Amino acid sequence: MIAFLRFEWQRLFGEKKNLIFLGFIFAFSAYFVWSGLNEYRQFQAEKKIFIRFEKEKTKQIINYMQYGAFGFRLLYETSPLSLFFVNSSVLQDVESNIDSLEAIKVESSFKGKKLFLKRGYFKDFAGILFIFGSIFMLYLGHLSLVSPAYLRFMTGCMSLKKYYCLTTAARLFWLNLFFIMLGLGLFFLLQVGGVVFSGSESTIYYLYLFFLVLLLDFIYLLGQLTTVLVGFRKVFFLWIFIVWFLCIFLLPEINRISVFNKSLALESAEKINLDKFHTLMALEKKFRDYLKINPDTSLNQIRQMQKKFAVQFINNSYLVNTGLETRYLRDVKNVISSHERQSVLFPTTFYYFLTGEISGKGYYGYLDFMDYIIKLRNRFMQYYLKKRYDSNDAMVESFVKGDENIFHSRCRLPETFWIGVFVMALYGIAFFVLAFWRLHRLVYLS
Amino acid sequence: MITLKNLCLEHGDFFLHNVSLQVRSGEVYFLLNRQNLGNDFIFKVLSGFRAPTQGDIYYDEYRQAIAGRLLPAVFIDKVIHTLAYETEARIGDWIDFICQCGNFSRENVLQTLMVLNFNESNLRKKVRDMTPEILKQVYLALTLAPDHPNIVINDFIKGMEKSLEMKFNKLLWQKKIAGRAILYLGNDIIYAAEIADQVGFIKNGHLLFEADAADIKDMDIKDLYYKFLN
Repeated sequence: MIAFLRFEWQRLFGEKKNLIFLGFIFAFSAYFVWSGLNEYRQFQAEKKIFIRFEKEKTKQIINYMQYGAFGFRLLYETSPLSLFFVNSSVLQDVESNIDSLEAIKVESSFKGKKLFLKRGYFKDFAGILFIFGSIFMLYLGHLSLVSPAYLRFMTGCMSLKKYYCLTTAARLFWLNLFFIMLGLGLFFLLQVGGVVFSGSESTIYYLYLFFLVLLLDFIYLLGQLTTVLVGFRKVFFLWIFIVWFLCIFLLPEINRISVFNKSLALESAEKINLDKFHTLMALEKKFRDYLKINPDTSLNQIRQMQKKFAVQFINNSYLVNTGLETRYLRDVKNVISSHERQSVLFPTTFYYFLTGEISGKGYYGYLDFMDYIIKLRNRFMQYYLKKRYDSNDAMVESFVKGDENIFHSRCRLPETFWIGVFVMALYGIAFFVLAFWRLHRLVYLS
Repeated sequence: MITLKNLCLEHGDFFLHNVSLQVRSGEVYFLLNRQNLGNDFIFKVLSGFRAPTQGDIYYDEYRQAIAGRLLPAVFIDKVIHTLAYETEARIGDWIDFICQCGNFSRENVLQTLMVLNFNESNLRKKVRDMTPEILKQVYLALTLAPDHPNIVINDFIKGMEKSLEMKFNKLLWQKKIAGRAILYLGNDIIYAAEIADQVGFIKNGHLLFEADAADIKDMDIKDLYYKFLN
């Protein structure tokens, strides 16, 4: 094994082309981590301004009626780990406004600097390693076995099986070491630079790195298999592109289209808003009808009636509306779960899903955010109605205590993580065995 | 000692029927066959990459039956394309690696390279940058390094420069003197007369004629060629 490790080290790192490519991967990964760090720091600075702004805004509100109409904004904050995945997230920088209106708003701002924050094209640590790492591994998988004539020659020294296994193991050992060192190096560099990761975040990052390395190994084995399947012919470079395109772009895109198609079965969000609006209007109509029947009602009586209707609203219509929203979220969750199950079936599609979730701005992050909004809104509505009808126009006191208007999204591993690892391992083993079977035929029977 | 017993082969148009022969220690046996593809196939069978349709092959007491089994024999194939050996390692590192894999001494390889007048500066070159001549020198040195008692060669001198061919002949001579049994597969009757002790002619799938090389030199080679190889 030592001889193989030494020889494959020389093959991999004694080659200028490989060194340039590895250097390129290193430089770009470091750049995108740095760029992610900048974004993270900028977000932290803006968060402070956001909190100050919200505090000052509340001070300017005259009464609770106005407070209910304006409400307060809720900011979505991800963990520092997201700086590795700034571009892999499902959601972008989002915020919500919690007020007494019936619609729940989740929006993204394109104001000022954010207008120029062009995302896309895998521009983050996770994306760079995925795109360039995969093409590099596919290429190295292609080069690993050289040719059938070379293998016939090598079988003079040892069995084909031993040579095949040891060559693959030695090459993967060095390549994995490079990617692990790169990932860990940048992770620790960030910590030295003052970014604090919690224990669970570190564990998630290590598991992500583990998955990434396995994914790259899977692609390496795929490259090896493709070469063997096309009989080491030089038309391989066409195949390398086809296989790469299929795995990296086409299958994930098909998966995305599939989830989109599934999401078409969901009711329109506007329809939900309209239903909620109708529920609210039905109550208001009752109130207006009462005033029409009793036009001589005194102001004090009207105020009492308003309070009564408010209690009725909280106990009936609001519950109905919250129920509508919760049911809608449950439907969305079903689509997400089905998307997750589908993504697990192929390693690259699962990688997209995984990085989205680890970023803290994935599908489950969105569900958590919506859940937090609904809960916070419930409390806000009760607070608002109580204060509005009981406070007798006292000074407006902010509902937000501490950093309640910051939603701390946690980075997470999907529940299917280990299934994804297992499926990938199965693919890897299948490719490894299939390549050997075909190779044996090429070397011995051609 | 290399022994073929009632060997039958079939591969496309080529076939061999009931061929039996024996190459004793310290002897070079030249098996002449007009068809290059046929020689390639016989070589694959002898080196264990294909199984014979019928019959047995023995290297000393070892029966060649299992594909991929390591045998007490050296198999030297013809080397035409450098492309097939295109690896990113340096020649020196490649030699070290193969020596470690095959458990044989680097000295053996270097000694052969010296006989072949190999330029030492080439050791720093990449394997994929080797010229066909350098590749043949390195290939030969590596295959001969284990120093097994039996050697099977498939038309190695084909396309080789005369100077290198002479060095190769010298190596063969050394091996023969050292008591190795050498079976050479080829189609060059003049070369056969030059290096072999025994020559066997294959025609229409049969071993038609066996003769001492010394006798062949006295025969009309043109006549032999038309009779057996045309």
